[in-house]
Amino acid sequence: MAVLSKLVKWARIKSPWIIHYNSGGCNACDIEVVAALTPRFDVERFGILLKGSPRHADVLVVTGPVTRQTKNRLIRIYNQMADPKFVLAVGTCTITGGVFRGAYGVLGGVDEAIPVDVFVPGCPPKPEAIIQGVVKLLEKLQKT
Amino acid sequence: METIELLILLLKFIVFPGAIFCIAYGFFLEWFDRKLYAKFQNRIGPLLTGPKGLLQPFADFVKLLAKEDITPVGADKLGFTLTPLLTVAVSLFTLLFIPIHSLTGVLSLPGDVLLVLFISTVFGLLIMFAGYFSGNRFSMVGTERTGLQFVGYEIPFALSVISVAAAARSLEITNIVNYQVNILGLPLIVFTPIAFAIYLISALAKLEKIPFDIPEAETEIVGGWQVEYSGKKLAFFRLATDLKMVFVSGLAAALFLGGPYGPSIPGLEPIFYTIWFIIKTLIVMFILSNLRSLFARYRIDQVVHGFWKYMVPLAVLQILIVEGLIFMGVI
Repeated sequence: MAVLSKLVKWARIKSPWIIHYNSGGCNACDIEVVAALTPRFDVERFGILLKGSPRHADVLVVTGPVTRQTKNRLIRIYNQMADPKFVLAVGTCTITGGVFRGAYGVLGGVDEAIPVDVFVPGCPPKPEAIIQGVVKLLEKLQKT
Repeated sequence: METIELLILLLKFIVFPGAIFCIAYGFFLEWFDRKLYAKFQNRIGPLLTGPKGLLQPFADFVKLLAKEDITPVGADKLGFTLTPLLTVAVSLFTLLFIPIHSLTGVLSLPGDVLLVLFISTVFGLLIMFAGYFSGNRFSMVGTERTGLQFVGYEIPFALSVISVAAAARSLEITNIVNYQVNILGLPLIVFTPIAFAIYLISALAKLEKIPFDIPEAETEIVGGWQVEYSGKKLAFFRLATDLKMVFVSGLAAALFLGGPYGPSIPGLEPIFYTIWFIIKTLIVMFILSNLRSLFARYRIDQVVHGFWKYMVPLAVLQILIVEGLIFMGVI
């Protein structure tokens, strides 16, 4: 059994599929996330694929602060994902709400709605920083 | 004596050239396809999983097997569970008819071209069921699109295969391969280039690769028919897609490129034939990956129109050319 669980852990680290959701940001972080997928950075090297359906994905990449309108949708997408699932929050807004903090329609950071594994600060963070965030997430997975 | 023969047959079914070899080769083809696709887009593709990313499809498969398996409330439970299993089983069954290590497949019977064509239409039907049983609006759209695309590509696919069968005057894959090797001495692609092109294009539609990935169009309908599948079921669907790739390229090699025949040392034919099979299927996959990265997705009406307006008449023209060549005594 030990061998099998090792194999599964190896497979999980080698193929994290992501789904990208914008919970109300300004699109800058989205452009950086897309830049990480395109030829210059090409995260498919690590086995990362962008998937359309939450059922297929392992990592939920959230950008932007959580607005009151998208909160329920964010929770629903998180619940639709199959275990084991992880959340990567990209951008300063996902930590505190950023410049939108205190606005009437904004709830705050992503951890107000769903549990977050790794935060990537920056406004917007560079693709290198996003990849670093994914590496941190995989390191966390390695330890468990 | 009989038990030993039975054991050898069982080994043929399960290990080589049956299930295990085909699954391993399917993973290899997926890696080859992804790597080439990345190269054409100026990317690197899978790199860090095993040597040059060779184990990436295997890692994806194991990860999906270990994930949670969700059955939605609105889904038909029996159908939702059965379709992935049936898809893998059907794909493995068709592979038994493909000649890999010798000039005959593991199974061979008179008229197996028709049987293989029939079973390959079941692929499309199973995809429709898969979308229908998951009870999701996106999968329903995917199912409709699969059905419509199915109407388009199935006839040209069959006609292109039939033109080869007409040239060899046989409906048995073994006889067609034998005809190319022993009687003609040339691969049939020399006389049926149009049929080969039509075969490849409709094979792309059958595999739902990019110019024809309308049923799963991720940017439009999230994932099409497979939107609700997660965990083991998705793993089985991905495995079935890999097996279909082996089937399509293997059938192309058998019918158009002279099967697994090639120069070899007498006595070591199975090894050399397997190597020639791999080379020929890789050539076919190379062409398919090229097409996949060259084109953008078509609209569903463009696909059906294109197949019926251009592909079917061309396929009929190819059959007429073949008949003419036979009439003149060229082949």
